[in-house]
This record gives sequence, structure tokens and C-alpha cells, in this order.
Amino acid sequence: MANIAAKRIKREIIEVVKGEEGVLKLELVNNAWTDLLGEIAGPPDTPYEGGLFKLEIKIPETYPFNPPKVRFITKVWHPNVSSVTGAICLDILKDQWAAALTLRTVLLSIQALLASAEPNDPQDAVVARQYIENEPLFELTARHWTNVYANGPTVVWEFNQKVQTLLEMGVDEHNARVALSTYNWDVEGATEQIFS
Amino acid sequence: MAETSETKPSASAPGGDAGGEEDKRDERMLECNICLDTARDAVVSMCGHLFCWPCLHQWLETRPSRQVCPVCKAAISRDKVIPLYGRGNTKQEDPRNKVPPRPAGQRTEPENNSGFPGFSFGEGFHMSFGIGAFPFGVFTSTFNFGDPRPSAAPRGTAQYEEEQFLSKIFLWVAILFVLWLIFA
Repeated sequence: MANIAAKRIKREIIEVVKGEEGVLKLELVNNAWTDLLGEIAGPPDTPYEGGLFKLEIKIPETYPFNPPKVRFITKVWHPNVSSVTGAICLDILKDQWAAALTLRTVLLSIQALLASAEPNDPQDAVVARQYIENEPLFELTARHWTNVYANGPTVVWEFNQKVQTLLEMGVDEHNARVALSTYNWDVEGATEQIFS
Repeated sequence: MAETSETKPSASAPGGDAGGEEDKRDERMLECNICLDTARDAVVSMCGHLFCWPCLHQWLETRPSRQVCPVCKAAISRDKVIPLYGRGNTKQEDPRNKVPPRPAGQRTEPENNSGFPGFSFGEGFHMSFGIGAFPFGVFTSTFNFGDPRPSAAPRGTAQYEEEQFLSKIFLWVAILFVLWLIFA
């Protein structure tokens, strides 16, 4: 049955390449049909606008009867994506998978997830809490992450400076950003958490 | 990114064959929704979605507790798909060697003998059971009951059971009729 999977992946890549959406990208990694690299553009009118997000796609032997395993490689600040591992909380990648779904529809669904977060069914509790308690700050943080990790256009100088402050204390850049994002960009709180 | 993703295939398409594109579109209409290949041993669900039977069978096997159409998530089951037989279908290799056979088409006989064939049949029983030979008649039919009649036996199992059931009913009707004759 691995045969079906390999055949389908070939067709699906062609489908994405030929597709009208210029916002999707899909390619094989190491020429093995089990590992693919996907890329989606951040949806317009969201904090992710202008960013390009890379995804790791692993195809199980039993594809398409079981869903592909998809996670973000690009770091994302989103309630339904783990800011640590990139794991995605999306029903169609779990129990709502259907064999007629394709990698194209999966990528489009993930893109749609970026546009409409589900903070009540979070993958990252910290992000979800910020989303619920302080949405403007969440949006700015997400925009900052998009700028730093996904080549987004909006530079948030204030946040950059705060990260720089922690960098000068010898903290790793990404750890500094995570700590600051977690503590609503309160430098003291973040510092305490890092050095405790 | 749009530029990078549009590689050779799409670049050559517009200049090339417009008629071929049309044909491909037609072909895609007959693609299995699971393997995305031309459907072989095709079946169609009640919601109208086309699959290869081997593909659909494996999908149903994969999640026995949640049997839904892979396209529209309508309820679906093995008994509620219809096989599609095209011309020349029989000449193809027999898929049953590899996967469980796809469900057979359900062929209902047109109902021209409307209702229960009541009285005329009853007369038939009159004749064969006969009042005079009453006990023997009952015994012979009772003892005959177990072994299948040669003409009925090799049919499909559902029909066979139906016949068994019917003969049982008629036997009881006859017995009741005889009893009524005696006691009335």
C-alpha cells in the first residue's frame, strides 16, 4: 500500500505546483516521498501577513488512510501552534482526517488556521492566554515573530531592543524572545524567569 | 514565491495542447477520490462520490468506528455503495484475488405479482397436502424441510434463506388450516 502513498504524493505535488494559489509551495526532501517541505504565505490582514512559513511534512506508510504529520519549522506565535516544537493543533490532522484531503487542502487549512485562531482549543497555553487577555499585545508579538523568523515586513523596534538587552546579558536570542513574549515583554519578569 | 513554484509543467501547458487539457478534465471526473488515479473496480457512495473499491474498503477498515465518506463525511457503509459496471468491465482481471470482493449490485425483481399471492397458492396447498392424507402429508413435508431442494440450493444465500422462511410459513398455514378443518 506504500505504493498508493508514493503515487499520490507525486500527483499532489503536481497539483500544488499547477494550482492557482501562488501562496503554496511543496517539494520533496532528499527525493524520498516520505519527507516533504511545505511553505505557506501568511494570510493578509493578519499579524502573519508578508511572512513565509516553512512546514515539515512527514507522510506515513498508510497515507492517505492516515493523516500526514505536519509541523511548523518556522517559529510562529499562535495559540494553536507550539512556540517550542511547531506542533499544530488542527482537527483534520487528527481525528477529522479524511482520505480525500490532500496536501494542498492541508496547507490551505493551516493557512486558514493562521487567520482564525482557536484560543479555546490551544496547542500553546501561554500564547492562548495572551491572546485572550491582551489581544493587541498578542498581535504585536505575532507580528514581531513573523518579522524575525518569517521575513515579515513589520519591524517592532521596542521588542528588538528588549531582546538585545537580554542578549547582552548572555542569553540566547531565541530563549530571550520566548521569555519576553511569555512575560508580556516585561524585561524584569523575563530576566527573573531565565536566571531563576 | 509564485514565480518559484511555477516550474516547467505549468509553463509548458498554455502553449501546448488545449484539447488535451479538455480530455484531462474529463478523465479527472473519473478519478478515485482516495488514490487520485482512474477508479478501478469503481463504486459510488450514496452521497455520489467515486472510489476504487480497494481504496474505499481500506478506508472503512482503517476506522471501523467512524465510517464517513472521505470527501463529504456523510455516513457511509459497505452495504450502501453501488458498484459501477462499465462496458468491457468483465474482461478485466479479477480483483477478488487481492482484496475482498466489492459488494454485489442489488438487483430487485420488478413487482408484477402485486400483494400476497393468497388464495391460488392456498389451493395449491390443498392439493398437495390433501385432507385425506393429512398426517403423512405433514410428516413428509416436515422431514423434507431440512434438506435443500436441488433447484433452490445453489442460489445466493439471501434468497435461499428467504425460501426456507417462506416454506416454513406455508407449512404452518397448512397445519393451521388442517386443524381448523378438524375442529370447526
